[in-house]
Amino acid sequence: MKKIITSLFLFLLLLKIEAQQEVQMADEMNSNGKIYVVVAVMITILIGITLYLVRIDRKISKLEKNK
Amino acid sequence: MFMNHDAELVTKNNKLKLKQKILALVKKDVLLEIRQQYSFYGILLYIIATIFVLYIAVQEPETKVWNGLFWIIQLFICINAVAKSFLQESKGRMFYFYSIASARDFILAKLLFNSAFMLLMSLMSLFLFSLFLGNPIQKATQFIGLVLLGGWGLSLVFTFLAAIAAKANQNAAIMAILGFPIIIPQLLLLMKLSNSVFSYSSSIALPTVLLIVALDILVIFLATILFPFLWKD
Amino acid sequence: MATPKDYMQKQWWKILSIVLLIYTFIAGLLMPVPRIPQLQETIRNLYFHVCMWFAMMILFTISVINAVKYLRNGLLVFDIKARQYAVVGIVFGLLGYLTGTIWMSYTWADPNNPAYASFSSIAREPKLIGAAIALLVYFAYLILRDSIQDLDKKARISAVYNIFAYTLLFPSIWILPRLLPSLHPGKEGNPALNFNDISPTMRLVFYPAVIGWTLLGLWIATLKIRLKILKEKIILP
Repeated sequence: MKKIITSLFLFLLLLKIEAQQEVQMADEMNSNGKIYVVVAVMITILIGITLYLVRIDRKISKLEKNK
Repeated sequence: MFMNHDAELVTKNNKLKLKQKILALVKKDVLLEIRQQYSFYGILLYIIATIFVLYIAVQEPETKVWNGLFWIIQLFICINAVAKSFLQESKGRMFYFYSIASARDFILAKLLFNSAFMLLMSLMSLFLFSLFLGNPIQKATQFIGLVLLGGWGLSLVFTFLAAIAAKANQNAAIMAILGFPIIIPQLLLLMKLSNSVFSYSSSIALPTVLLIVALDILVIFLATILFPFLWKD
Repeated sequence: MATPKDYMQKQWWKILSIVLLIYTFIAGLLMPVPRIPQLQETIRNLYFHVCMWFAMMILFTISVINAVKYLRNGLLVFDIKARQYAVVGIVFGLLGYLTGTIWMSYTWADPNNPAYASFSSIAREPKLIGAAIALLVYFAYLILRDSIQDLDKKARISAVYNIFAYTLLFPSIWILPRLLPSLHPGKEGNPALNFNDISPTMRLVFYPAVIGWTLLGLWIATLKIRLKILKEKIILP
């Protein structure tokens, strides 16, 4: 009886592992923190573009005042 | 009481006038067409020539190709048939119409005339198509109905676009550029519908037909609202 | 000279846009997402690719509103606005189209299946056809504008076409996905995507992302409009 239960339990565990393996995600990248590198790069690009836009905005404001 | 009655009478009168005006404008278009027969025969020759070229190129195609070719040819015939409706009007003549008719009457008359003209041309091209490229149609009456519906829809959209193109330097090429993206969905609907006439087993989906009719009504509605802005110069 | 406080009060939406976008980039990459086969980690593209479509449609809508305004009161400012919003909308649409083709060729389309090897097999996707139609309409709009010399006539006729095409565009975007077979998720519902498919945690990022991207588009458009108005100062009343 005990054997059956343990084997059933192992079987269920196996099923669960298999179900998880079915969908591969970038779990490793999340766990070792490399994902933050990606975030940092993207945020830097975004901020760079923003600063550029702000600069253009300021320039146009100046031009509008000169009129 | 009297006022009310008077007002009613006036609106009735106006409605009558509107009808008469539109009919008069349509009559003028018909008369023009009869006088200058070269344009009518020109379109006719265009249909015959294209279908003959197709006949030489593909002879008797399978039903799917037949269907696709038929609607594409329909599209080009419509562009050619409708384009002239505004392009042929000279500036002076437009000015004259401007002084005697309202914009709404004018566009409604044009829509009416072009629809009738396109229906005629659709039937003609259907006849020639089945003559030259074989006749895979199993349900003839239904397909004729579809052809008329399609021709009507195409003519409505392109009439309005012709009005726009006439203002843009009388350029007929621009009409195609403006029209193709708008007409694609309607053409797809028509092709899908007409696929069912090639076999006895499948039947025409009524909701789709109603959808096309609704689209056509939408086009008429938009045309009457927007045309006055194109009209004044 | 406006004080910084004034500036902040008037420009709050630009700051909001950037804050929301920063939030999108951080949360979009770090928040847990549902494990869906095939899509896997690429589901995060939802925060970027789908937002392009939303921004495009909103910008086109604003363009049409300005076209209507122009027809009502005939001020050339509204024509300038209508044109610039349409142009920025086109930019977002092109980005959406490009990212859509990239995303779908690696997910729904089976890379081992030779039928998916060519671009034409991917471009057959009804969503992409709908988007391509919207883009073609606005390209045609720009060509129409350029073909007319007279300023008032140009503004009036292109406004008419803008309204006409936009009104017919909506039924077609609604019809097309129901007509053709599609691989796109959520094909029976909303043209863009089925909102029931997204898990609640994804919504927390998705809605702010849409607002953020749209506001960014609006910012760029307003910059272009202001520049154009400066240039055309002479002809404007």
